[in-house]
Amino acid sequence: MSSFRFDLLLILVFAIHFAPGLSDLVISKLDRRIDLTSQIVRMTLTLKVENTGTDPVSEVSLTFPEHQANNLALLVAVSTKGKGKSRGSATNLPIKIKQPNDSPPSLIWYAASLPKELGKGESLNMDVLVVFTHMLRPFPEKITQAESQLFLFQESAHFTSPYNVKVQSLTVKLPSENVESYTKLENTKFSGSEIKYGPYENLPALSYSPVIIHFPSNTPFAVAKELVREIEISHWGNVQVTEHYNLIHGGAQSTGEFSRLDFQARPHLRGASAFRNLIAMLPPRAHSIYYRDAIGNISTSNIYGDSSKTLLEIEPRYPMFGGWKTSFTIGYGLPLQDYLFQLGGTRFLNITFGSPMNDVLVENLTLKVVLPEGSRDISVSVPFPVKQSQETKFSHLDIAGRPTVVVEKINVVPEHNQYFQVHYKFSNLSLLTEPLMLICGFFSLFVACIIYMHADFTISKSSSSYLAKLQWDEVQGTIQQLQDIINRCLLIHDKLEASLRELSRNGDVQACKAVRKSADGLLKDFSKESKPLLAILQSSPQAAHILPKVEELMFNRHRWKQRGPLLFGHRNLLE
Amino acid sequence: MTQSAKPISSPVPDAWYPSLAVPMLAVGLVITASFFIYEATSSRKNRSLAKELVTGAAASFFLGFGSLFLLLASGVYV
Repeated sequence: MSSFRFDLLLILVFAIHFAPGLSDLVISKLDRRIDLTSQIVRMTLTLKVENTGTDPVSEVSLTFPEHQANNLALLVAVSTKGKGKSRGSATNLPIKIKQPNDSPPSLIWYAASLPKELGKGESLNMDVLVVFTHMLRPFPEKITQAESQLFLFQESAHFTSPYNVKVQSLTVKLPSENVESYTKLENTKFSGSEIKYGPYENLPALSYSPVIIHFPSNTPFAVAKELVREIEISHWGNVQVTEHYNLIHGGAQSTGEFSRLDFQARPHLRGASAFRNLIAMLPPRAHSIYYRDAIGNISTSNIYGDSSKTLLEIEPRYPMFGGWKTSFTIGYGLPLQDYLFQLGGTRFLNITFGSPMNDVLVENLTLKVVLPEGSRDISVSVPFPVKQSQETKFSHLDIAGRPTVVVEKINVVPEHNQYFQVHYKFSNLSLLTEPLMLICGFFSLFVACIIYMHADFTISKSSSSYLAKLQWDEVQGTIQQLQDIINRCLLIHDKLEASLRELSRNGDVQACKAVRKSADGLLKDFSKESKPLLAILQSSPQAAHILPKVEELMFNRHRWKQRGPLLFGHRNLLE
Repeated sequence: MTQSAKPISSPVPDAWYPSLAVPMLAVGLVITASFFIYEATSSRKNRSLAKELVTGAAASFFLGFGSLFLLLASGVYV
């Protein structure tokens, strides 16, 4: 505490020597609202900046003491021209950390560049949102199950601005109507759940008036020490998001024993500092949502879906008291057409950056976007500074792996849950490599089968069993060929019978005679073909038992051939 | 943006996946069956390599696409 005061003393000393060296901007009105209703401290500044000097000014500097700047997660400044009914459009100002050389080291400067230079005598309205993390200190640091949490918040009633401020006020909003203690300066008022400091007039630049507020708060202090968010895109129609959480209760540490009986019987008295559920706002049309951890599926969850969002309410396996940890995984699938777009020759993914959980502070966020195999020219555009890298992930049906973009950020607050884009190039033909791989896999099985049937793996080619097998194969082949010939003969006979019937119907003798001639020719060919086959059968010892049957068949056929013309001639005589 | 971005979706509508998977797998299995019947009943002399390869290729084409749509229909978006 004493070193803290010394820093501020240094600032005060420098303020006196430093002020004349600045540009002549003056803040004519400053309203600060600090929201302490959750673990993340949000400060909203509404200020009106006037240029009282002669030179036009292109940037406005905001300063914060070092201990606050180290915990600064987000700084957004918006400027509007005009006021009241004639408010112009709001423009976001780009912010840069710009440390002047002669500034004390315990003061960090943020410069907001104006879109248009502020000329002499002009004024500008600015709205600034600053989000701080880890600003509330639990005091006492360890509590038992029955006590409620008390936090310490340190701030300055005068905004440490590098410019003179004409009128300023500070309103601090507390989570409940109780307060343990707060610094009473002049013009301090406590009503409802708000403490109002001000208005203070005509304060010099870099003035500081420390204020300490000690207040109770039992809002959930869910801090994710590590969140790994993996977004996998499949061009077959799905975006799969998997989130691994390592959650801890970041409030006052819990000491002493935990009595489940007391907690279940009187949760508001014995366990006011704990939280039981977490709510996540998933996008609409999310499907296949699962919630599991290292043990298995966790069934204490509920989903309420409508057309604008899917609300997921999850309950960890035990209530979270101060200092207690839990880790789990949430996964869900999203339809592809809501998130992937085509612009010219490139495709881009448009999806939210941070965690969908309400009011969870993420200390280390690792976001991995896994693009399908064959994606080229990958680039990421995120609206705030992040650390990027690339790696490869091997997944289903992959040859070279899927290119993955890894984006890392520290101290992510729910205000960071904005849309970001990943651009890449992909040709639809590369989609075909996946079924092609499956087809090749199946075809290799068939080829292996063919090779097995064709190859001859016997060791001794002259053993009697091998020779007998060869002869058997030959006999089987010959019989199949004979069968083939006989089938073709039968077809010819059918054709002849059909032509005879035609004849009895329309009396066209010439057509009938033509058919008869061709049939005769074919039958002669067949008998020629079957002669060598019969010869093979006769010479082979394996065919001994089947040979008589085949010969009988041949004889029958021969007899029919002889009788057939008689039948035919009979008909002719009839004509 | 000067041109509007068009949403991209799958080349085959999602709802068709199960009704594409089953017939393709069925046809693929029938052709596989005919391939194996041919292998079993033909003798060494009469076997034709061209017929075997064509049947195998047709069977693997239908089986490949059928198994891809089966994977997609069951939620494994490869």
